[in-house]
Parts: sequence; C-alpha cells; structure tokens
Amino acid sequence: MAERCAVIGIGQTKHDVKRTDVSLPGLLREAVDRAFADAGVGWRDIDAVVIGKAPDMFEGTMMPELYLADALGAAGKPMLRVHTAGSVGGSTAIVAAQLVQAGIHERVLTVAYEKQSEGNAMWALTVRIPFQQAIVAGAGGYFAPLIRAYMRRSGAPEDTGVRVALKDRQNAPKNPYSHLVFPDVTYEMIEGSPMLWDPIRYMETCPSSDGACAMVLASDAAAKKARHAPAWVHGTAMRSEPTMFAGRDLVNPRAGRDCAAELYRKAGIANPRKELDCAEVYVPFSWFEPMWMENLGFAPEGEGWKMTQEGATALGGDMPINASGGVLSSNPIGASGMIRFAEAALQVRGLAGEHQVPGAKRALGHAYGGGSQFFAMWIVGSARP
Amino acid sequence: MAETTSTRLTAAHVLEYPYRRSVGPVLGAFFTGLTERRLVGVRARDGRVLVPPVEYDPESGEAIGEMVEVGPGGVVTTWAWVEKPRPKHPLDRPFAWALVRLDGAGSAMLHAVDAGSAAGMRTGMRVRPRWKAEPEGNIHDIVCFEPEARGTDPETP
Repeated sequence: MAERCAVIGIGQTKHDVKRTDVSLPGLLREAVDRAFADAGVGWRDIDAVVIGKAPDMFEGTMMPELYLADALGAAGKPMLRVHTAGSVGGSTAIVAAQLVQAGIHERVLTVAYEKQSEGNAMWALTVRIPFQQAIVAGAGGYFAPLIRAYMRRSGAPEDTGVRVALKDRQNAPKNPYSHLVFPDVTYEMIEGSPMLWDPIRYMETCPSSDGACAMVLASDAAAKKARHAPAWVHGTAMRSEPTMFAGRDLVNPRAGRDCAAELYRKAGIANPRKELDCAEVYVPFSWFEPMWMENLGFAPEGEGWKMTQEGATALGGDMPINASGGVLSSNPIGASGMIRFAEAALQVRGLAGEHQVPGAKRALGHAYGGGSQFFAMWIVGSARP
Repeated sequence: MAETTSTRLTAAHVLEYPYRRSVGPVLGAFFTGLTERRLVGVRARDGRVLVPPVEYDPESGEAIGEMVEVGPGGVVTTWAWVEKPRPKHPLDRPFAWALVRLDGAGSAMLHAVDAGSAAGMRTGMRVRPRWKAEPEGNIHDIVCFEPEARGTDPETP
C-alpha cells in the first residue's frame, strides 16, 4: 500500500503571450514562490525537485534543467526532468507524487513551464529531420483530420466546437491567471473567426503562452502542517502508445481509455460522471472536449457532443469541464497539463475563487500529448483517503 | 560482429529560425551596465558579490537583487594560453583565456586577456577591460582584458 500524498501548495504565473519582464528562471520562480506561500514552506522544507517541459527545441534552451537547478533550489537535492510531450505537466506531477507515495520524500516541489515567446513551437514541430516521420503541419494540422473523423463517426452537430470555445472563453475571465480573456465573447464572434485548420477556427484554438505552474506535494505528516486545506491524491495513472502504428484509433485512443479505467479503479470510482464533481481536461482545440468526454467514459461512445450541447460541461452543469478557461485560454505547453492537475486540486480545496464549482469534493485532472499517445491523469479529493 | 561498410545513411539538414531571450531584471542590469561601460554584480546572501550576477542565491535559492558596481580593474586567478587562435576567438593573435576577479567581486569571470605572449601572463596579475567603441549590451562589449601596467594606450603592443 502506497503512502498518502497531498497537494499542499499551488502557484501559477500570470500567463501571457510574452512575459518579457522575466527571465526563464524568473518565470518559474513566480509560480514556485506562490506555491510556497500557499503551502507555508520554504526551500529548506523541500526534499526533491521534479521539473517538466515540452521539447527543448521550443525555446532552444537545451537541457534547461541544468541551468535551472540554481533557481529551483536543487543544489544538494535530487532533481529529475520528465518529458512526455504535451502531457508532460501531468506526468511530471505524477512522478513527483510517486516519490511521496513511495515513502522516499516528505515534500517534493514539482514545476512545469513553457516560454513560447522565446521560440516558435509550430516551427519546432514542423522540422523535418532526415530519416524520421515528420508531422509537417504543427499541432493544428495534425489534429484537424482526427476531429473530422470524430464528426463523421458521431454525427455531432457542426457547431459543437463553437459551443465548447464559447463556454471556455466565458470561463476564462473568472480566472485571474488566464492569458486570453474576451469578456464580451459571443457565439457569433467565434463562429465568424477565420478557419485555420478546417474544422478548427481561430477562436477554437489554444494560444501560445508564456507561463509556469508549480505544486508542493506532501506526505501525510507534512500535510498536517500545511497552511491551507490540502487536496488528497486519490489515484494517478499514465499510459502510452506508439505514434505511427496503423491500427491505432486516434479519435478514441486505447491508451486514454485504459488510463481512465486504471485511474477509476485506483480511486474506487464506478461511475465517473456521477462520482466526480468536475474535471480539467486537456482541450487544445475545441472539439477535443466531446472526444475526451467519450475517451474518459463520461459519455457513451458517439455521444460526448451531447454533454457540450446540453450544457453539462458548463460551470453550473452536472460535469463542469475546464471551469478555469482551459488550454483554450492559457497554453504554456509544458505547463498546460500541470495546470489541469493544479486546477482540479484548487477545486477540491475550495480555493478556485470566481470559477469555483460549488461544493466540489472530487475532481479529475487530465493531460495528453504527442500524437494523442501519452496520457496522464489524476483524481484528487477533499477527503483524506 | 561483421563490419558494415556501405549502408550508412547521411543527409544534410539545415534548420534555422530565430530564438529570443528575456533576461529579467538582474541580468538585465548587467547588460545595461555594459552599454554604459560599467560592470555590476549582485550581492549573495553570504555577502559575496557575484559577477556576472545571478537571480537566485547559489546556496539558499532565495531571490537576490542588490546590484553592486565592481571593477573595472581586476585580478587574474587562473589562465590558459592560446598560441594559435581560431577564427571565432575574440582576438586574432595569441592570447590567454583567463578567470578575472574584478575589484569588489567574490567570483571570477571568464574572458580573454591580450598580453602579447605567455611570458606576459601570471596568476595574480592586474588587468582592466578594453571596451568596444560602441557598446551594445552584451559580453562582447568588453573586447578583452589587458595588463594594467602596460600604460595608457590600449593599442600599444
């Protein structure tokens, strides 16, 4: 039986298109300092540091963990860097949680970031390296055909993506850390925005953000000394599958379904839609909300879009998804998964402020990455398991 | 194992797009100082002045930001002689790579020293910066260091 693990501190930067006011270490420290203030801990209390980010080529800072060790107070402590593409923020948090659950450390600092303004993620993904399969078109070009396939399979109404974007963009102003904020956003504004990668419109797409997210994870004993109520980790799961295997179902990947099944088993959940109060799901393009609703087992296959259309995923619906505004509103890629995990924890701690889901007791954080091939998820709750 | 000779794959690959850097308030002060021909460091928690400055204390990890002017003169703490400079080296004649501890600093900084010959170099010697005509805010604003005792004209060999 693993040791208990709790989230006792959470910090985020103000996410923005260009945080030219801070260096890369300064960006991370803005999140870390806030997490420390929340937890009521300092550098001396931290036993290990686990850091995550997306590919180094995004900023062109190779092996950034080497030079960030100073700024992250890692001298004399174990430091690990995790990398699983876009899901890295989630898998980084899970690796950190496992160090606590294994009984190795009392308090682990975990932090994830991206400073997209220092490079060009789309070009970095478009590079055609000799002898390797190229993605060629960046993330939007890769995922658009999967959305088309989902639309054909499910018969979902054409405007489902617009409705997801409208909901997430209406949530974003309630979150003080959101990058993209359109206080007067309308359905027509989204529907009328330029088509980027058919069927994905400009306003159905995530931004390029500078930002970081940090959490302090603690053992049972350390959680008792925390400043605020913790979020307890009820279960974690990760799954992978190959990018290019021809037999894959990229619309409803098996790795995601298996990951969710293991997660629910560990957390003792039989009916996720009923037993969870809300979820923060990695939705970089609007249509991934209904797709992941099915992959996560919140809706039967082919019916995820009904949750969106019926308003179930809105703040005030029976399963609020991305009350924070989601990846559509803030996307520091490497941090985006950790922000999902952290926002789930904020909800069950009752600290989500204006975007709080009233009375949330159990929440799911989700991240995916690569060509829909890496999945990382956790369930956190207000109750000590 | 049998040796394979002819099946190695090779291909040219040129990748080019710009990267940008935000240096933040502490390194920003250092680079801004260079444009004014001033050298600044940061005071660490133990009192030492670190040059170039860092944003976080190397011992405690705490944020630091008290800027302290140092130099411009300093002392060579160790050096290595380069007899045949390469095309991208800062000088086109033999020179020394040296660690220079600027006056008032508690740490040494790597730079080139133009001393004519290895005989002109010694650990403990005093040096001063030779500045570029129009500083731009990067480390190359210091062309190199030169022995302090050499006289007032920096171009005199």
